[in-house]
Amino acid sequence: MDFEPSSEQQMLIDMVRRFVRTEIIPLEAKLDPDASELAPEDYARLVQKTKAMGLYGIDIPVEFGGPDIDIVTRTLLAIEMSQHRAGLYVPCYGAFGGAGLAQIFEANDDQKERYLYPTLRGEKKPFFGLTEPSGGSDPARAIKTRAERKEQGWVLNGSKIFISGADRAQYGIVFARTDAAKGRGGITCFIVDSDTPGFHVRRVVHTLRSSSYATELEFKDCWVSDAQVLGTVNGGFAVANDRLTRQRIPYAAACIGVAIAAHEMAVEWSKLRETFGTRLSDRQAIQWMLVDNEIDIRTARYFTLEAAERARRGIPFRTEAALCKLIASESGGRVVDRSMQIHGGMGMTKDLPLERWYREMRIRRIGEGPSEVQRMLVAREILGASVR
Amino acid sequence: MKVLVAVKRVIDYNVKIRVKADKTGVETANVKMSMNPFDEIAVEEAIRMKEKGKATEVIAFSAGPAQCQETIRTALAMGADRGVHVLSDAELQPLAVAKLMKAVVDKEQPGLVIVGKQAIDDDSNQTGQMLAALLGWSQGTFANKLEIGEGVAVKREVDGGLENVMLKLPAVITTDLRLNEPRYASLPNIMKAKKKPIEQLTSEALGVDVAPRLKTLKVEEPPTRKAGIKVKTVAELVEKLKNEAGVI
Ligand SMILES: Cc1cc2nc3c(=O)[nH]c(=O)nc-3n(C[C@H](O)[C@H](O)[C@H](O)COP(=O)(O)OP(=O)(O)OC[C@H]3O[C@@H](n4cnc5c(N)ncnc54)[C@H](O)[C@@H]3O)c2cc1C
Ligand SMILES: Cc1cc2nc3c(=O)[nH]c(=O)nc-3n(C[C@H](O)[C@H](O)[C@H](O)COP(=O)(O)OP(=O)(O)OC[C@H]3O[C@@H](n4cnc5c(N)ncnc54)[C@H](O)[C@@H]3O)c2cc1C
Repeated sequence: MDFEPSSEQQMLIDMVRRFVRTEIIPLEAKLDPDASELAPEDYARLVQKTKAMGLYGIDIPVEFGGPDIDIVTRTLLAIEMSQHRAGLYVPCYGAFGGAGLAQIFEANDDQKERYLYPTLRGEKKPFFGLTEPSGGSDPARAIKTRAERKEQGWVLNGSKIFISGADRAQYGIVFARTDAAKGRGGITCFIVDSDTPGFHVRRVVHTLRSSSYATELEFKDCWVSDAQVLGTVNGGFAVANDRLTRQRIPYAAACIGVAIAAHEMAVEWSKLRETFGTRLSDRQAIQWMLVDNEIDIRTARYFTLEAAERARRGIPFRTEAALCKLIASESGGRVVDRSMQIHGGMGMTKDLPLERWYREMRIRRIGEGPSEVQRMLVAREILGASVR
Repeated sequence: MKVLVAVKRVIDYNVKIRVKADKTGVETANVKMSMNPFDEIAVEEAIRMKEKGKATEVIAFSAGPAQCQETIRTALAMGADRGVHVLSDAELQPLAVAKLMKAVVDKEQPGLVIVGKQAIDDDSNQTGQMLAALLGWSQGTFANKLEIGEGVAVKREVDGGLENVMLKLPAVITTDLRLNEPRYASLPNIMKAKKKPIEQLTSEALGVDVAPRLKTLKVEEPPTRKAGIKVKTVAELVEKLKNEAGVI
């Protein structure tokens, strides 16, 4: 297998790297350390540039007008795009465009007109409503929110928790139980407008991602019409399975980008800082930390590119996607931690991006399927379907 | 009118340069290389001329090892039409490059040549001037603004400010930093660049003697700057400038 980028890929990498260094990082220096947005005029100016690059809407499939790049190239660019303070969750502050939720691409034509295209045009923002207080790792069993048949539609009752950005969204995707007897095959996916009577954002849930909070939702006799059913009734988990698995790859790549940035800072710092009469970089204790960073980064990169390459070739990649998500998020945490340690007290400050990466990287072991669930997936693959 | 631009492959401006242990030069192994920033400005200017209908074709020229093709590809991805690469593994000094470029100019007959005022590796600031002399063409160095008409109007960055000169065509231009802001390449152009031709030549085939005329004796790191001091008052500053530094 050849992991050397082609000359076209290298040019795209160089272009995005330069964009991050010359456009994003100088602007970021003037923002609050927890900012997740640029000033509107800066954002508009940068979007013009990414459009001229032909890379705007980077996560939009080519058939919906996104750029024609394969998932390996996308992964290489994701590694570049996250190399700044806000980069883990908002690479380049969204200058390469939003994507729309995976499921909405599978919507019917009417729903695409009402939700997908406005989202791709940046006019509407969605939320993703899966997790409930009863648990997010195993939603098929945990989901308690019910949807009952009424007047050519459905009445939703229940609650959701940890839903990012629902207070700022115009609509969302909500998973609810439509057949209590059927377990996994009894969940339906609904599109719910934020102004639907009976839908409430009950409270904001503060997490260690203080730059952008999650919310708790409540559904009280919230009626939606049949036109809001996404996919088929009782087929909620079948919608966009492939796209969801794919998403784990750029998700892993963003962790790698941040790890690379933290590691580079640690390397530079170790060569400048002197203690006990010599540079930190002269100490084997520090050198080995840097070597461990290098090992973690390279391992995550190989695993992630392997998953991407399999996805590109159209061969099964579920296990590889689980592995790369797991490895990149866990090793990313270790790399940021070591890099902070090498920076001493400076590493703890908000003058440097390390503390934000440290907090946000911690969430990556929980979001998009926690590490344990990824390990379960791999165990099933190794041991066969008998492992539940 | 054809426009020929020079694109030199140099150590990327973000790389922290290290002097080789034996002091014969700087470390280039495993170091990221990219296009000389002044040459990016040259490419941008030529592409803008083409977009405005003032140029018919933009040709990117580079001399050096095989990897120079990557630098030419970058120019093609920005929008240049085709490339000319003079393959050489020898050390190429400004005079050699100027002679190679002259040979290509004789072949291609461009109406204008645009090169960077200097390259960020050797900072020679000679190639454009030498080329103009070899060709017997007019030259507009340190260009801050260009206007193509009958000839070419050049606003030049000189010590005292800006100087306006009017050149007859054909001419050689060297770019200064403020001439334009080079664009990013674009995905469609990167894909198109794959199919654009790059002609490969050699110094032997062009009949140019590229042997170095200068010999580098030793390369050293610049001395580290001594820490400064802070003064408390303006009066103290004036006093120190007068009595210690002796500058006022
Ligand atoms: C900042 C943030 C934003 C979020 N945004 C969203 C959002 O927008 N939309 C949304 O729907 N959800 C969102 N979530 C929820 C997230 O997806 C869930 O927290 C996650 O799926 C885990 O579910 P849980 O919290 O209920 O943990 P649980 O399912 O209760 O799991 C608890 C722990 O037990 C482990 N575990 C579970 N089962 C097993 C097992 N069989 N073997 C071993 N270990 C096991 C888990 O890995 C986990 O570590 C967000 C969470 C956070 C923190
Ligand atoms: C929140 C906070 C509150 C603080 N409050 C106070 C306070 O009230 N008063 C006060 O005086 N200080 C305070 N400090 C400073 C703190 O004591 C220092 O940060 C700490 O002593 C480390 O020093 P440093 O940051 O300069 O790191 P450095 O000394 O530069 O060390 C950087 C890293 O290199 C490692 N290292 C150093 N030497 C070696 C070696 N020879 N071999 C291997 N590894 C080595 C260190 O362990 C560390 O991980 C505070 C710091 C923080 C973050």
